[in-house]
Amino acid sequence: MVDSKSRMTSFGKLTTETIKFRERSTLVIAGREFTRNRAATAGLVAMTILVVLSLLAPVISPYVPITINLREKLKPPSWEHYLGTDYFGRDVFSRLLYGGRISLTVGLLVVTFAVLIGVPIGLTAGFFGGRVDNILMRLMDAFLSFPPLLLAVAIVGILGPDIQNVMLALGIVRVPVFARIVRGSTLSVREEVYIKAAKSIGVHPLRIAISHILRNIVSSIVVQITVNFAAAIIAEASLSFLGLGSQPPDPSWGRDLNEARRYIQDAPWLLFGPVVTIMIAVLSVNYIGDGLRDALDPRSWRTWQNKKSTGLQEQIS
Amino acid sequence: MSNRLSYLIHRLAQIPFVLFVVTITIFGLIHVTPGDPIQIMLGMETSPDAVAKLRQQYHLDKSLPKQYFIWITNTLQGDLGESIRLNQPVTRMIADRFPISLKLAASALAFALLICIPTGIISAIRRNSSTDYFLSGIAIFGLSIPNFALALLLIFVFSIKLEWFPITGIGSMATKMEGSLWQTFGPYILPAIALGAQQTAILQRLLRSSMIDVLSQDYIRTARSKGVPGWAILAIHALKNALIPVVTMVAIQFGYLIGITITIEYIFAIPGMGLTLLNAVVNRDFPVIQGFTLAIAIFFIFANIIADILYTLLDPRIRY
Repeated sequence: MVDSKSRMTSFGKLTTETIKFRERSTLVIAGREFTRNRAATAGLVAMTILVVLSLLAPVISPYVPITINLREKLKPPSWEHYLGTDYFGRDVFSRLLYGGRISLTVGLLVVTFAVLIGVPIGLTAGFFGGRVDNILMRLMDAFLSFPPLLLAVAIVGILGPDIQNVMLALGIVRVPVFARIVRGSTLSVREEVYIKAAKSIGVHPLRIAISHILRNIVSSIVVQITVNFAAAIIAEASLSFLGLGSQPPDPSWGRDLNEARRYIQDAPWLLFGPVVTIMIAVLSVNYIGDGLRDALDPRSWRTWQNKKSTGLQEQIS
Repeated sequence: MSNRLSYLIHRLAQIPFVLFVVTITIFGLIHVTPGDPIQIMLGMETSPDAVAKLRQQYHLDKSLPKQYFIWITNTLQGDLGESIRLNQPVTRMIADRFPISLKLAASALAFALLICIPTGIISAIRRNSSTDYFLSGIAIFGLSIPNFALALLLIFVFSIKLEWFPITGIGSMATKMEGSLWQTFGPYILPAIALGAQQTAILQRLLRSSMIDVLSQDYIRTARSKGVPGWAILAIHALKNALIPVVTMVAIQFGYLIGITITIEYIFAIPGMGLTLLNAVVNRDFPVIQGFTLAIAIFFIFANIIADILYTLLDPRIRY
């Protein structure tokens, strides 16, 4: 981020001590702050394990997740089946691994979609202001006037139950969240002196928007990405739980939980795997988000221990 | 005062515009998405006669602006069309189902307040103590567990292991509107806890931070130096002011809860708005989807506006 050479030339007379300090890039400092936060580091480790397990699902899963074996149905956890088997004799552990691929992919694609559409909208609205701002933000307000899960259910209801439609619905629901955050940050950055300076020397507006404004609000976008990733995982699980997401026999955390519900009296261990996995995923993403929020905010550097972050609350949106 | 009044008028004046955009959005979702709704509704049987008849019945043979105009005029007259599967007016269905969901959301908030007020105060007084950390640990648990997963865990513990509540039939019991307090609200206990867990955590955190803020104010020190007993400072001087953001948040969450009762209604078979909407989605019952989405969106908008108004009215320091 910081080009030390150009700094040396422009601040030629600085003492070696200051230069040494300046040479540490912001990313390095942010990384160090992040690793100092124990909860965030634990979250990152847990998330990495989840991602690796999902990626390696074909290698490590002991059974094929959709193979039906009725002789082995509703078996409690054992060394053959770590988390037991479901009503069709399918291995719950293998299904969790493959289900993770779907849940994490949905989270990733939903957030990507929301960022790709929401960030340009917010940037345009905040940068140009006036009528453009008014029209774009009122439109976003309208989308925010629906409770998000309800809007997703309605969209899936109209397009038909299917995992692709779930991704589209959740993506649409998340767009205004990003647009609003980016607009707000853009407004606060827009009046900075360096933006006026760039304007006065005739820098192209598009370039100001991207290399001056966007670069300065990137940290708030990164934090929103984690918060919304967690929300998307919960929303996908909810929709799949309701039967609107991935269809049988594909494994899915939410739908497997719905099947576990039917055998809650005879095979309560079926609940354990999906519930714990969803919670680990959501908790770790939220802790990563909290850690990033502090690590990317220079005002909280070195004093983060004193701050009790309230970031988890924003996940409910 | 005049400032606040003009803010309120400004806020209320936005309602028609927001409603206009919301109706356009719902209308657009149904009419602009690919696929002929009539074909989807009829499914396999597609005699040209039946298609043409339905097209006329739902005004699909007219232009889009005209269709929108017809829909809005009918909606304003309280006519949201008829359910295709149940042959019932959608307005009637909303009138039947909305109170059930309202009661569920209200029970969830009642549970949240019951838990969050004492624990929020304890967390604030004993801030950064082990009690505080323990309570925030539970709050983070409440925030991270999806409500349907919590519902299943509650059913497992309280219905199957302890047998305090019946496993099935909670839904049908819940629809009875008369009887003793226990009969009316008893069946709602498990659903309310499952639905209200997140709100409990949010409100607990909120009350904790606003209580800490209030306790550091000068007038608390004044009260203390005057010799007001500790409980009176907390109950009268501090709590009254610390509750202002909580009241606002309760209003916001009330609107929000109506939109997420769906999973809880599904698990406990409570025939509220959410379960009806889910059935309509499965059956592709478009008039019901349209009407219910509109009703819930309107409720959500008004809950947010009421939250705004409460906020300005309760805190005399706020000026616009």
